[in-house]
Amino acid sequence: MEETVENLIIGLNDGVISPAASLAMEAHNSPSKLFLVKKIRHLSVVVLAFRGSMLPNDWFGQRGHSPFGETKIDTGKFPSVRSLNDGGDAVVNGSFLWRFNDVLDKLSHAKELKKAIEKKRQVVFAGYSSGGPIAILATLYFLENQTFSPRCLTFGSPLVGDRIFSHALRREGWSDYFTHFVMKYDIIPRIMLSPSSTEHEQILNYFKSKLDRKNINPAPPSGFYLTVMGNASSVASYEACHLMGCRNPSLDIIKSFIELSPYRPSGTYVFCTGNGNLVVVKNPNAVLQILIHCAELGESDAAEVEKRSLDEHSAYPNELKDSLGGMKAVVYLDVDPANDLGLSPQAMLCLQAAEEFENRRSRNLENIRTDRNYKEKIEDQLEKQRKYKENAQISRLGYYDSFKLQKEDADFHANVSRLELAEIWDEIKEMLKEFELPDDFEKKPEFIKLGTIYRRLVEPLDIANFYRHSKDKETGAYVISRGARPKRYRFIQCWLEHHEKKLFGSRSESLFWADVEQLGIDIEKKGYLQEIKDRIHQLERNLIACIGDRSLDDDVLLENSTFVKWWRALPLEYKSQSDRIDNLIREKAAGV
Amino acid sequence: MSQAPLFSSAGELANLVVTSNLIDVAWANIPEIQRGQAAFPCSVQPMVYRPTPNRTILVFASSPNCTQYPLPEGGDLVQSSLFQFLCPKECPSVSINRASLDLFISLQSQLPGLKTELSEWEGQLIITGYSLGGSVAALFTFYLLDSMDKKSKCRPICITFGSPLIGDFGLQHSQWNSFFLHVVSNKDPVPGLFLPSGRSPPTSSHSQTSVYKPFGTYLLCSEHGCACFDDPDLILKFLTVASSEVAEGLQLVVDYGEILRNLKYRAICKGAQLASERFAYPFSDGIVMELKTIGIDPAEQKIDTKRMEAEARTLAKETKASEAKKLNDRKKAMAQLEWYKKKAEYEKKGYYDCFRNEENSRQRNVKLFMEELTAYWEEMVAEAERKPQKERTSFRTGWLFAGTTYRRMVEPLDIAEFYKDKDSGRDYINNKRSQHYKLLEQWYEEAAKPRTREDLDSKKKKVSVLLTEDSCFWAHVEEAILSCESLRNANSTTPEQRESSWNNLVRFGEYVMKQIDNCAVSPDIFWSGSSFMTWWGEYEAYIDNFRNFYSSRLVEYMKGGGYKQYG
Repeated sequence: MEETVENLIIGLNDGVISPAASLAMEAHNSPSKLFLVKKIRHLSVVVLAFRGSMLPNDWFGQRGHSPFGETKIDTGKFPSVRSLNDGGDAVVNGSFLWRFNDVLDKLSHAKELKKAIEKKRQVVFAGYSSGGPIAILATLYFLENQTFSPRCLTFGSPLVGDRIFSHALRREGWSDYFTHFVMKYDIIPRIMLSPSSTEHEQILNYFKSKLDRKNINPAPPSGFYLTVMGNASSVASYEACHLMGCRNPSLDIIKSFIELSPYRPSGTYVFCTGNGNLVVVKNPNAVLQILIHCAELGESDAAEVEKRSLDEHSAYPNELKDSLGGMKAVVYLDVDPANDLGLSPQAMLCLQAAEEFENRRSRNLENIRTDRNYKEKIEDQLEKQRKYKENAQISRLGYYDSFKLQKEDADFHANVSRLELAEIWDEIKEMLKEFELPDDFEKKPEFIKLGTIYRRLVEPLDIANFYRHSKDKETGAYVISRGARPKRYRFIQCWLEHHEKKLFGSRSESLFWADVEQLGIDIEKKGYLQEIKDRIHQLERNLIACIGDRSLDDDVLLENSTFVKWWRALPLEYKSQSDRIDNLIREKAAGV
Repeated sequence: MSQAPLFSSAGELANLVVTSNLIDVAWANIPEIQRGQAAFPCSVQPMVYRPTPNRTILVFASSPNCTQYPLPEGGDLVQSSLFQFLCPKECPSVSINRASLDLFISLQSQLPGLKTELSEWEGQLIITGYSLGGSVAALFTFYLLDSMDKKSKCRPICITFGSPLIGDFGLQHSQWNSFFLHVVSNKDPVPGLFLPSGRSPPTSSHSQTSVYKPFGTYLLCSEHGCACFDDPDLILKFLTVASSEVAEGLQLVVDYGEILRNLKYRAICKGAQLASERFAYPFSDGIVMELKTIGIDPAEQKIDTKRMEAEARTLAKETKASEAKKLNDRKKAMAQLEWYKKKAEYEKKGYYDCFRNEENSRQRNVKLFMEELTAYWEEMVAEAERKPQKERTSFRTGWLFAGTTYRRMVEPLDIAEFYKDKDSGRDYINNKRSQHYKLLEQWYEEAAKPRTREDLDSKKKKVSVLLTEDSCFWAHVEEAILSCESLRNANSTTPEQRESSWNNLVRFGEYVMKQIDNCAVSPDIFWSGSSFMTWWGEYEAYIDNFRNFYSSRLVEYMKGGGYKQYG
């Protein structure tokens, strides 16, 4: 397939890459400035290129904690860069994050940037070597803030974030905004896959002394390639085991004895083969495999490859001028053995496994959408639950209370339906945890909507079941204790909160009944304390708000419901919204 | 629909092992110790190193004589009570290689202290050894694992280099096998020494040696590369080839340090040939490539890659998601049974008698759920049984609670079926009771904590929702009814039979009273029309007519109407 690389980067104007590469190199060589700005007038593009640093401390400054210098990302600045299930926040290199924070203030106030945004020019953040991570984090920062959508171009950049980082970028649909150019043997894009070591310092010091120009031709270090690539190869093999579906039980035991780098590629990678051809790869698992396998030793001897791995780090402007100038570059999108990267048969298998993994995720999604046992069944069961709820209203009790009593056939059928739904959602939850669904599954409006309907309608039944069997005595309160609330609900709530850009825990309307039940139990146990009073007031406020925005059904206000009976029995001095809630109850009674 | 492609990860797993420094660390001290050992006699010494604060290395160093000529006459397998704990269900005993076992036993004075010290160690523990030293390391690892409990923070792994096979079938089934990694070179004849076609010394008998089996994961190496397999057949073939191909190999000392250095280098090499096209059959193409790398010709050795692929496909279906689904299926079936019970209660019928007397679609439905649950639990129990003793305990505690509820819900229905069918005969407990119920009950008893007075008090409050604890309660009731019948039909029974029936009834009375005292029965046994009350009617009539002066606590309790206050 022949296309320009710019075409493959969404919304990037033709002809930007080569000048961006030159500016990025220049910024790297300008120690007095944090970043350089260049307007490419005829393209209506503004490029900002960040300065890098070759001081080992600016790469592994947080070394005290771990040989990889990683740290949790600052979710205040990067609220989306985390897992929406159990995976937690993304991890990034602490030194790079620190250096980004250092630049951020100056960057936000840069008049060139302000002007570019004002004039709706395209903004490109670029970085060469360790300037790359700054460009990546800056791009991400502005994408999070939604002020404008910059593009990011890096050249020979080290890795910045972990698997969650890459997952979050793909989930948010930002992956295509980031393009990373990597030479076939350049050591720097691989260096973060190896723990910080004397080899690292040798490599960085070499580049630093080249930069300082005190020593025009510093002696290149040697003997590092085997160590760095060996460690990087461990990471690639570990991931390949997963991609290939390794079921050898020893894998987990072996893994517990090995410390692997947390860093993984993210965004789109463009591999420069060295003969003018470019290979574009978007699947992050495939990128990792290519990063390692294309730099393996071939027929030529190790010392030569080692030297190339240093030389190629400085070769980007020339390479890209050759690839992009004049003739259009050959760009391979598929994994194709004829792509000039010179991959071994084993590497080919790894790439096929990476591709199959991606295919399987798409198949799983398709399956959920079209197989009768998933989405369609959820909808059928939700319809049953809706009918159950309507019928329960007629009895003036509400479905929560009639479910808790489990007296009628309908209550039993609702219970079976609850379990049917739990089965499907639990399966989806497990698939998400194992990354067996596409990264953007939790962002898809159809599933957020379906999940939210499910959560609001059915979680009260789980709560009723929980308190009917007094499970709080075994596990602790439904809301508080970790083992009690089914994780499927927590995840689905998280999807909605993320979608609405709300605080975590702010959409817990489906927990209303659990709060009521637990307050009842705690009052019986401890009596009326100030803490209880505060919780009652909070409950009242939640009730009014949730009834107001219809996220909680008003059948909680039915005369015979557990809530109304309990609330009426509360001493007046413990209520703060007595009149309003009384009114709501009366309105409900009149309305039915 | 065509099936999704599968892959063999043997090469990648091996690459992970080789490029991480795990085996280098395990090997690091061995050559030096080896040199320091006196050549004679053949002996093994444990040595402890602590290279970093969170890592301990335990090396079993064998003397050079022992390493190069590992078995003057120790090649046969002997049964060992020491490792009896590893026995799977279907195998009565475990047999161990004599040479390894003798060396292990020769260390008896040091091992208990070492074991105590190491099981308290909080961190990584690498247990390693070369040749026979590795065999002893493996035995020690089992010995240590057996004594460690779940709370132990010690994380062991056993890595052996060029060690001979140490045992038979009995060793293959332990879940601990994932803790073992055996490094073997195709130039090393020692690991396959005991195999029939290998170079077994003439003194050992072949009938004994043919049953050696590998266990754990093997890192199989050649000068071209390596692969990790845990398939016993394949490993045996590799070992056989290695030991028969090495000419005069017994004199050869294999330098695993050199082998590892070469493999590390190979790991980041492309190899001679580059990929020219995509693989049409990734699994078999991959495995053939891996086998050729380690020097095995798959056609010549008749390696069944189809079987391996089929096994991989079965494993691939067992995902976390499918496990979650199975669990929920079980919950659904239980909900159905609970509902049946509840419905029976609304009709003022006991769960047991409702099922026993009914013959309709509702009852037939319940049977389907019973079957589903029974199939599930029989499998779970059988799986737990297959595991060696120690693992069984930890494996089952997780689901014992659910298994007990199942037993209490479903076994009464099995009993009802048994006694409903007049042809079944008598004595369900001894003649018909399924093994999985017996085991579930036995394990529950073993795990149950002694009851306190508070437990009983809180139980009294919720007696109405309790399940009858003894899942065989109704079998006892049915037998008691039959005993009453035999007493009543004095014409057709002998005095001995009547005597035995009466004794049965006395015992039954004591049994029931104990259950009532412990609040261990559901109040539905006292509902009118229940089998229990039927029994009581007959029993009361009998004693009123024939044993007017007999009384017992139960008779008083029932006559006095105490049962009306139960629950």
